[in-house]
Amino acid sequence: MSALLRSFFLHYISLMDILAKLQILSGAARYDASCVSSGSKREGPACGTGNTSSSGICHSWADDGRCISLLKILLSNDCQYDCAYCVNRSSNFVERASFTAREVVDLTLDFYRRNYIEGLFLSSAVMGSPDKTMERMVRVAETLRTEEQFGGYIHLKIIPGSSSELVRKAGLYADRISVNIELPSQASLQRLAPQKHKEAILAPMALIGREIASSLVERKTSRLAPRFAPAGQSTQMIIGASPENDFQILRLSEGLYKKMKLKRVYYSAYMPVSDDNRLPVLAAPPLLREHRLYQADWLLRFYGFSAEEILSDDAPNLDESFDPKSAWALRHPEFFPVEINRADYGTLLRVPGIGVTSAKRIIAARRFSAITPEGMKKIGVVMKRAKYFIICSGRSFEKTDRPAALLRQQLLIGDSSEPVLPTQLVLPGIFS
Amino acid sequence: MNRYLYDGTADGLLSAIAWILEEEPCPEQVALAERKDTLFEEGFFIGTDATQAEDLLFRLRKHAPDAASTLYSFMLAEKEGMESSLLHYISLVFTHGDKVNGYLTHPAVRDIVAVAKKAGRELHRMKGLLRFEKLRDGAYLAKMEPDHNIIHPLAWHFSRRLRAQHWFLYDVRRRIAARWNQGTLQFGTIEQFTAPALSEDEKKVQALWQAFFKTIAIPDRKNPRLQKSNMPMKYWKYLTEKQEE
Repeated sequence: MSALLRSFFLHYISLMDILAKLQILSGAARYDASCVSSGSKREGPACGTGNTSSSGICHSWADDGRCISLLKILLSNDCQYDCAYCVNRSSNFVERASFTAREVVDLTLDFYRRNYIEGLFLSSAVMGSPDKTMERMVRVAETLRTEEQFGGYIHLKIIPGSSSELVRKAGLYADRISVNIELPSQASLQRLAPQKHKEAILAPMALIGREIASSLVERKTSRLAPRFAPAGQSTQMIIGASPENDFQILRLSEGLYKKMKLKRVYYSAYMPVSDDNRLPVLAAPPLLREHRLYQADWLLRFYGFSAEEILSDDAPNLDESFDPKSAWALRHPEFFPVEINRADYGTLLRVPGIGVTSAKRIIAARRFSAITPEGMKKIGVVMKRAKYFIICSGRSFEKTDRPAALLRQQLLIGDSSEPVLPTQLVLPGIFS
Repeated sequence: MNRYLYDGTADGLLSAIAWILEEEPCPEQVALAERKDTLFEEGFFIGTDATQAEDLLFRLRKHAPDAASTLYSFMLAEKEGMESSLLHYISLVFTHGDKVNGYLTHPAVRDIVAVAKKAGRELHRMKGLLRFEKLRDGAYLAKMEPDHNIIHPLAWHFSRRLRAQHWFLYDVRRRIAARWNQGTLQFGTIEQFTAPALSEDEKKVQALWQAFFKTIAIPDRKNPRLQKSNMPMKYWKYLTEKQEE
């Protein structure tokens, strides 16, 4: 074979290889919910490629409607572990593949230079040992940052059980790092993912939290101090594969936000990827439940609610027919009606139909003149829900002393014109 | 009610507004429109004075930076027939300062802020949806047809991001191009555009991206409606991942 033909042949083989690998390893990564590229602001290196923008940028939207902002792939799907809920579990028959560090680096740069992506999201199955895997993942980030002067966004998954040295190194190269909590309780973890231990998940989380905090302190005294995961840490848990109720889940999230200072907790409705008999048989993935959990999560983070206000031991699951804030309002008639022209920010936020944006707008507009009922619509309040709970300079829109049962019904009718609930991840920022 | 006219240019608009704010005791009662030279057109014509326009911008930036950036986004929209609203808005800026953007119950503020928001939203969207193709000489080219005239701020964004790269942006409908090469950013108009040849490996990289785009979606969660609402079809023409369909 002539040299030219041979080199052509080899090139062809290697290309086919990359394409096939990319298909396997992005397909295996698609169940990871996290795709944000926000929270980090970095000027790009003068002779390199890329910067990050604090608001984050979406580059495309996939056929399931979710935003694509990062090249989301696994380094390998060749897993030692046998977690029941996971497509890549060792007992499952799927095609296996692994990238080399160079292949991931080149893909990232080729995509970034064409503005397809904001950066890299790299996770992996456990190859050999947690440390071995983590080391290879860190090497990818290291090559990108030091050899290639890459200034774009990097999100690294931490493999539970990897050494604290590697976790520290990961945090120095990545914008965000995350450890998946996987399941909401130790018991479920033991049953469905016997090789993963609660301590191995919580220990790196706590370590990351401490490192982030101390890096922030150091950067106050010196701008040159290294940044540790400037976009913070997040986690993900699977909903519906184990018997925990929503109250347990929300309390867990609340603890993660308060004690571990996590930026985000992602909820991922369990997709039946396995017929393991330890798993429940679901007619459909619990997407509505996932949606309600995200709504409740927003209440925890931006609306000043606590888990105990949203749910209780007597009613441990979120209402399917109402968003959690409306459900809270229905249980607390004594709180309403709220006077739009006098109530403070925290009180306005508790009104169904008023979100963070409209509450801020109401406060800003009140400085100029009292808000009239017409003004409410201009500001963007969802009146079909809010009208039962507010008064404007003493004037009410609807009878605000309606009996609870009637009000429930009215709200349901008001909602019926809405499109059928999302069949996928919607960021419920606008749900109010 | 007094009615004024200007020549239809951005400088003309701003200098007319500066003149009215100076001379009219009650600018909120005044109307301003572009001169169309029709037979029965009424109104007093205000000539263009570039220094006055610049001076107005300077004072705005100093006095109310948020409102100045709203004005900038509003001008990107190239919206016609909103001159009076803009006049009233700017007059309010000088009485209330930056707080004015919160005065959404005022019709002029609401209209100007809404248009500016829309332009700002498209700018942010294009930062993500723009697609570069590698050319044979190693430079990168991105074509687009945005509704708003956003090439200047967009080029600035990419000059911070793809610093080591030689690239072009081309607004196909307005025939404006931006070029970044070795630390300098230039703008120009293009009379006749001929598509340059692509680099040899370009199609391969595009195929990789198309494959990734297809596999990253969860099949059980297909939702074309949401996809279209986030990524309107008018942008698909230049999206690499939407070329096969």
